[in-house]
Amino acid sequence: MEFFDCNAYFGLPAQRPLAPVGSAELLLAEMDHAGVDRALVWHIAQHDVAPQTGNAMLAEAIAPHQRLWGCWTMLPNQAREFPEPDELFRQMREAKVMAIRVFPDSHKFLLNEVSMGELLEAMSLRRVPLFLSVKRGMSWRGVYDVLAEFPDLTCVVCDHGCWGEDRLFRPFIERYPNVAVDTSQYLLDGGIEAFVTDYGARRMLYGSGFPESYFGGMMMAIKHAQIPLAAKEAIAHGNLARMIEEVQL
Amino acid sequence: MIGDSPLAREFWEYGKSATCPIYDMHGHMGPYAAIYFPRAEAPDMVRTMDEAGVRLLIFSHHAALNSADLGNRPSIAAVRQFPDRLRAYCMVNPNYPEVAARDLETFDELFGEVYVGFKFLSDYHKRPLTDEGYRPAWEYADARGLLILAHTWGGSQYDGESVVRTVAEQYPNVKFLLGHSCHGAWDAAVQLALDFPNIYLELTAVFDDRGVIDKFVHEAGSDRMLFGTDLPWFDPHQAIGALLNADITDDDRHNICHRNAERLLKPIVPDLFG
Repeated sequence: MEFFDCNAYFGLPAQRPLAPVGSAELLLAEMDHAGVDRALVWHIAQHDVAPQTGNAMLAEAIAPHQRLWGCWTMLPNQAREFPEPDELFRQMREAKVMAIRVFPDSHKFLLNEVSMGELLEAMSLRRVPLFLSVKRGMSWRGVYDVLAEFPDLTCVVCDHGCWGEDRLFRPFIERYPNVAVDTSQYLLDGGIEAFVTDYGARRMLYGSGFPESYFGGMMMAIKHAQIPLAAKEAIAHGNLARMIEEVQL
Repeated sequence: MIGDSPLAREFWEYGKSATCPIYDMHGHMGPYAAIYFPRAEAPDMVRTMDEAGVRLLIFSHHAALNSADLGNRPSIAAVRQFPDRLRAYCMVNPNYPEVAARDLETFDELFGEVYVGFKFLSDYHKRPLTDEGYRPAWEYADARGLLILAHTWGGSQYDGESVVRTVAEQYPNVKFLLGHSCHGAWDAAVQLALDFPNIYLELTAVFDDRGVIDKFVHEAGSDRMLFGTDLPWFDPHQAIGALLNADITDDDRHNICHRNAERLLKPIVPDLFG
């Protein structure tokens, strides 16, 4: 079974974790050990330092590696720190960057139409996925707010927690057809099976949460979930591959 | 594939192992207000156990944790429904010492058939492990060398590493299972295991923190670690996947999955081991 991880980072966090992974090469070595084929990755400096710094570090690090795609970080652009959407998307295409993730709470802004409407509208039209981590820099209320304003956004809600979050994410799964969740920290016994039964397999993506979680945990859970093989393949790699194919940069 | 060892290959292919049964030392059961469980009742949990090769689950029912009205009765009923697959911890809520006293009176007659030890949940009951309400159970277990599974969380004033150290010094004969291994206070957990030969590091919610399994094995030793999932909270396959992905040996995995638990449980439930 092929695995395409939608939620992994590398780089050295400001606060040292137990097992940091400092480079794209070390990340790839860990992917090889676990049997992960491809990954959509970001650099921790995008969060800990600044998007401008981290985005450049990410682009340089993944450039030589065919198995890695990038995910950049953006901020509200009233101070013109970033290019306009058309130019941003052109730069993303050149750098093999296929998605954007934001950390509004960490980076002190509100993710809404007033702050980032132009970019979010362009992302909706061009199907550029927005990754939101409720573990890092994003609240559940913030997720609900941005989806209410941009209901067509392609969005992946990550790291939604191991302590039972179905009642927090199922409502927006039911309302917004372009929203998906990743599997990192979705440890719930029978959770994958119940989700697929209720919503199908297109709305869930394999995400490891690496390097804070092991690649292998959710690989094993997907491999042995009581769902059809086609559903496992979709979650393990197919949905992310399709999402990337649909991006119009 | 998830690793390159024989156990990794077998678990990856079949979801379970013929040579490495699992004893899950930390489970619960039944509905719980703050979380949706697709498989909350005993028959569904046993189905999960079958899928992952879990031989035996030791649990405390959610009702036993949070309703002194119901107490341990739902746990007892479930064990009697699946006597070959389930055993229970006798839950002690120190806020209701009169209920705990009644449970203690009937403990002996249920020991082995239903109970293997006691369960404490200090963070939730807002009473430290040193609380007077726990004392009768500590003394009872210490006199008999019984198992106690206590929820432990790094930094907690109720069951953090310093409170754990205090009771570990006081009750050296208890086989003291640190539920969640003082979660987050990993160095302290290792030190507790090194300082107290009766302490075991139980791994519920630890499998999701990359590097901790490796650290515990290399610094405390795999003969002091126990498999646990909070079932029906966490999928045992997720825990198995993390265990196979960690930088440890298959011998360590055997210790964690079954050998250590067998050593603890055989004297209590010899019938289950033939």
